[in-house]
Amino acid sequence: MLRITGGKVYDPAHGIDGVVKDLFVDDHGRFTSSVEGGRTIDATGMIVFPGGVDVHTHVAGGAINFARAMTPEDHRRTQAFIRTKTRRSGLGGMAPTTFATGYLYAGMGWTTVNEAAVPVLSARHTHEELADIPIVDKTSLTLMANNEIMLDQMEKGEFERAKQVVAWYLWAAKSYGIKAVNPGGVAAWKWGKDAKQLSSPIEGYSKLTPGVIITQLARICDELNLPHPMHLHCNNLGVPGNISTTLETLKHLEGQRAHIAHSQYHAYGGDGWETICSETVQLAEYFNSHPGITTDAGAVVFGNTITITADGPWQHLLYKLTGRKWGNLDVENETGCGIVPYTYRPSNLVNAVQWAAGLELLLLIRDPWQVFLSTDHPNGGCFWRYPEIIELLMCADVRKECLKAIPDRVKSKITLAEIDREYTLGEIAIAMSAGPARALGLARKGNLGIGSDADLVIYEEDTNIQKMFGHPRYVIKAGEVVIEDGDIREAPQGREYLVKPACDPGTDEFMRPLFEDCYTMSFENYPVELERIEHPEIRDCSEATGK
Amino acid sequence: MGGKVTCTLGEVKQRADFIVYWGGNPAECHPRHFTKYTIMQKSKFLPRGRKDRTMVLVDIRETKSAKAADIFLQVRPGKDFELITILRALVKGRFVSDEQIAETGLSREAIDDLIARMKAAKFGCMFFGMGLSMTRGKHMNSAALLTLAAEMNAFTKFVAMPMRGHGNVTGADVIMRWQTGFPFGISFNRGYPRYNPGEFSTVDVLVRGDCDAAFIIGADPGATMPEPAIEHLKRVPTIVLDPHVTHTSRLSRVHITTAAQGISAPGTAYRMDEIPMPLKPALKSPYPTDEEVVRRINEAIANKPFWLPDGSQPQMINLQG
Amino acid sequence: MPTTFHLKRQPTVPLEAEVLSPDILGELSNSEIRALTVYHGKRQLPLGDFFDVEGERSTNLLLRGDLNKVRWIGRAMSKGTITVRGSVGMHLGAYMTGGRIVVHGNASDWIGAEMKNGFIHVHGNAGGQVGAAYRGSLAGMKNGMIVIDGSAGLEVGMRMRRGTIVVGGPARDFTGLQMKGGTIVLLAGAEIRTGAWMNRGTIISMKPLPLMPTFISSGAATPTFLPVYAQFLKPLGIHLPFRAAEGAYRLYSGDLSVSDKGEILVWQPAL
Repeated sequence: MLRITGGKVYDPAHGIDGVVKDLFVDDHGRFTSSVEGGRTIDATGMIVFPGGVDVHTHVAGGAINFARAMTPEDHRRTQAFIRTKTRRSGLGGMAPTTFATGYLYAGMGWTTVNEAAVPVLSARHTHEELADIPIVDKTSLTLMANNEIMLDQMEKGEFERAKQVVAWYLWAAKSYGIKAVNPGGVAAWKWGKDAKQLSSPIEGYSKLTPGVIITQLARICDELNLPHPMHLHCNNLGVPGNISTTLETLKHLEGQRAHIAHSQYHAYGGDGWETICSETVQLAEYFNSHPGITTDAGAVVFGNTITITADGPWQHLLYKLTGRKWGNLDVENETGCGIVPYTYRPSNLVNAVQWAAGLELLLLIRDPWQVFLSTDHPNGGCFWRYPEIIELLMCADVRKECLKAIPDRVKSKITLAEIDREYTLGEIAIAMSAGPARALGLARKGNLGIGSDADLVIYEEDTNIQKMFGHPRYVIKAGEVVIEDGDIREAPQGREYLVKPACDPGTDEFMRPLFEDCYTMSFENYPVELERIEHPEIRDCSEATGK
Repeated sequence: MGGKVTCTLGEVKQRADFIVYWGGNPAECHPRHFTKYTIMQKSKFLPRGRKDRTMVLVDIRETKSAKAADIFLQVRPGKDFELITILRALVKGRFVSDEQIAETGLSREAIDDLIARMKAAKFGCMFFGMGLSMTRGKHMNSAALLTLAAEMNAFTKFVAMPMRGHGNVTGADVIMRWQTGFPFGISFNRGYPRYNPGEFSTVDVLVRGDCDAAFIIGADPGATMPEPAIEHLKRVPTIVLDPHVTHTSRLSRVHITTAAQGISAPGTAYRMDEIPMPLKPALKSPYPTDEEVVRRINEAIANKPFWLPDGSQPQMINLQG
Repeated sequence: MPTTFHLKRQPTVPLEAEVLSPDILGELSNSEIRALTVYHGKRQLPLGDFFDVEGERSTNLLLRGDLNKVRWIGRAMSKGTITVRGSVGMHLGAYMTGGRIVVHGNASDWIGAEMKNGFIHVHGNAGGQVGAAYRGSLAGMKNGMIVIDGSAGLEVGMRMRRGTIVVGGPARDFTGLQMKGGTIVLLAGAEIRTGAWMNRGTIISMKPLPLMPTFISSGAATPTFLPVYAQFLKPLGIHLPFRAAEGAYRLYSGDLSVSDKGEILVWQPAL
C-alpha cells in the first residue's frame, strides 16, 4: 500500500495535465481511491507520470543474443552492473544483457516493454530471456509477414485458411500480436533477393505481392480481435525515395487499423545517397489526416549502436557499404535477421537527414496520440538515451544548437530548422506512456486511473530535461518502489501479456503436414508451453468475450 | 570476430543445393545429419532430394562420410587455414600460383571447380567440425570459414555453421550470452562478467593452476585435458555433478550423482542452429536433477555471510586510470 | 628515489593489481599505497598484504619478485617508469598512453594490448597477443614501442594499427594477424601464418619465414626507409642490416585475400 502526495500529476488518458493531486495504491498493486496505512511518498514539487511504455524495442531473443556475441568490445567499455545481494550482474551498452536491460529501463522510469520481433521457432528462447528481464512487464510480437505456410495460403487465395494459420501461430508462440517486416522481402532474401515493389509478385511466388500480404494481414489482425493493430515495418526501409512505398503501403491500409514501425526510416525522398532528403512533411500530412493510425518514431541519436533487423537484404547492403562486422541468421519458414554495428555521425549527410527526420515526425504529426517515442532500440540508438530525445522535443533551442553541428548542405534536405513546436510535459507523457499503452491495447497501463496498474515514475523538476528524465527520484512498479534515489531497491518479476485468438479446432491437423514438410523439429514440440511463461496474463480474443 | 552468416537447419533442408562438410565426419559423429537436415531431404525447392544437391567433403583423410560425398577433397593436415585463405583470394579474382595451391594438397583444377560450383549454387551451406576448430589455428580456422561464407554472399546465398559436440554446448553458450554478454571464458571475480579466452577459459585456468576450487557439471575434463590440468584438479577441492562416475569424479573430493538430462531430467536443449528444443523425460531416476542440486547449494550459500564485506563494492577494472 | 614493492606473499590465484601504476601511485604516501585495493581472485585485499612497500610519492616504481600471477601492472599509465626485477603477469601496460616499463624477467600474454603510446622492454620472453586487440576490438596498439629480447607467443601485433614491436627470439603462429599498420621486426623469425590477413603494415624478418600462399614476391631490394629505421632501432641495441654488401631484403606483398598493401621483408644475407 502506498500513498503519493502533493505531486504534479500528468495523466493524459484522463485529461489530467499537471494537476497537484494525491494518488493511492492498494495492496494488489493497483490505483484506488484511498488507503489506510502503508508508506507515504511526499512528492511535493515533483512531477508524476505513468510509467513509460516502449512500444517497439528489441531486447530478448535470438537476434539480440546474436548481437551480444558480436560485440565483446562494447561490453568491455560499457557500464557494468555489479552483483549485490539483491541485484544480478550485467552489462549495459548497445546490446545489454537481460538483467541489465530491466535495471536500465526501470532506472529511467519505463515499466512496460514490447519486444517487437519474435520468430515462432525461437519463441521459447525469447520467453526465457524475457523471464530474465527483471521489473518491467512485457509483450511480444510474432513475425508473420514472411511465414511461408501463411504466404502459400494467401497465394492460393485462401484467406480464411491464412487467418487460421496466423491464429495458430500466435498461440503457439504465446505472443501478443502480429509483426510484419518487409512483407515478402525477407522470404525473397532466402534466395538473395528482396521485395521492393508492392505490386510485383514475390520471389518464389507467381501471384502474391507484398501489397496483398499487407492488406490481408491487417484484415486478419482485425478479424482476430487482437488488442494491437498489425505492427508493420514497411518495404524498402532506409532506401532513398522510399516515401512513395510508405504512402502506397498506407493506401493499402485505408480503412484498417495499423501501426507503422519506426517511420523515420521510411520517410525519405531523393534517389540516391547524395540526394537523400527528408519527406516527413508528406508522411506527417498523411497521419494528420488519418486519425486511426499510429506510429513510433524510430528516431536516430548520434553515436555508436548496433543495427538488428529482420530486414536481411538491408543489412547485407549495410555490411557492403560500411565493411563492419555482419551477422545474419535465416530462420526456416519464418523470417531472418541481419546485424551490423553502426555509428551515426552528424558529419555524415545521410545520418544527419535521419536524425532530423525522426524529430520532424514527432513534431509535425500534431496529435501526440499518434506518434510515439522510440529509437527502434538498438537500431537508431540505445533506449537508455530516450531522455536526450525528450529534451530535443521540449527545447527548440537545444535543437538549434545541434543543428549547428550538421553540415550546411544538409539544411536544404530537412525541415527541422523551421519547426518551433515544443512538447509540453503532458505531450511527453502521451508520447512515452499513454499513447503507446493505448495503441497496444493495454487498458491498465499508461494511465493513473482507478483500477489501473500502479506503474509510475516521479521526477524532480529540473530545467535540465535530460537529467530530469534520466534520473527519476522514484520508480514504482505494481505498487512497489523499485527505484529510489537512483538505487535499485527491489527487482520483482514482471508479467507477460499474451493473446489467445479464436482458432478453428481443425487447424492443428491442417498445419501438421505443412509443418513437417518444411520444419526440422517435431510438430508436438513446436508450440511454447504455457508453463514456460513467467506470470502470464492471457487475453482471450474470441468473439464471445468481445474485448 | 567478424560476424557470422548462418541459418536454421530447416533452411538447409529446404534450399541448400550445395553443402560442404569441412573437418567433420557426420556419418559417424552426427549420424542423422544427412537424413534429417541435409543431403537426403526432399523439399519444395529441391524435389529430387539427393539428386538436386551436391555434397563436398573436405578432410585430411577419407572417412566414412566420404562415401556420401559427391566430391572428396583431401587437404594436407595443417593446411585448412591456408586453403580457405586461398579460396578467399581466388573468389575475389586475385592471383595465387600453382605451387602455392599445391601446398594445400589440392590441384588448381579441384579448387577452380570448387569455386565455380560455389558461385553457381543457389544456396550454399558449410558445416565445420572439430577437424577445423580444434586443430592448429583453432578459432582462426573457424573464423576463416565463417568469413569465406560471408564474402560468398557477394555472389550468391551462403551460410556456415559449426557442428557441435556432445552435451548442450549451444545451450550453455546461448544462456551465458544473454545473462553475461559472453559465450564462455568468463570471470566474475569483480562482481560483473569479463571475457578473455586464454585467460579465463577452463583448460587454460586449470593448466596454469589459476583456480583454488573446481565445480564440474556434466563434463569430464579428467579424461580429456592435458596432464597439468588434471594434476591441478587433484590438488584443489573438486566437486562433480554427473549421472556417471567419471574420470573426473575419481579425482574429486565430492561426487554427486544426478539424473541424466533429457532422459530423466526435463529442460531445454539448444540445437546446433540455436533452436530451443524442449526435453521431456521418458524415465524416472532416483537421483536429483542437476538443477535441484545447484539450487540446494545456492540456498546453503545464501545462508552464509555474503562474499563481500558489508558496504564494499568491487570496482570495474575500466574505472581505474 | 623509486617506490619499491617486494612481493612477500605468492598469490595462489591471479592477483589483479592495476593500482600498480605511476598515475595512481605518484602522489600517494606509503601508508596510502599499502591501503590500496588489489583483487586476489574475488577477495579485495590491501596491497600491503602482498607487497612490502618502501618509499612513496614517486612515479618511478620498482617491483621485485616472481610476479607472474600479478596482472594488469601499469594499466593505462601515462607517465613515469615501472621496472620489474622478476617475471610479470598478463596485461602488463595494457591501454598505456605514455611512460616506460622494463622487465628483467619473463612476461606473460597481452603485454601492451591496445596501448596508445609508451615503451615496454622485456628482457626475457613474452607470451602471446603482444600489442594486440582484445577479442572483438577493431584495433590493437595504436602507437608506442614494445621490445622483447626473448621469444614471443601467438598473435603478436594482432590488429595493431601503428607503433613498433621487436622480437629477439622466435615468435609463434599468426604474428601480425590482421595488421592494419605499424611495424613488427622479427630478429629470429616466426612459425607459421605470419602476416595472415594483414591489411597494411610492415613485417621485417631476419630469418626466412614460411609464408601464407596469398603473398606474392616482388623482387629483392632494400626499401629506402630501412636505413632510417635501422638508425631508429640502434640506440636500443637492435641491429637491422641494410648495406648492399651484407645482403638485401626480399619483398612480399599481401595478404591477397584481403589487401595488397601489407609487406613482409625477409632478409637474405649476401653469400
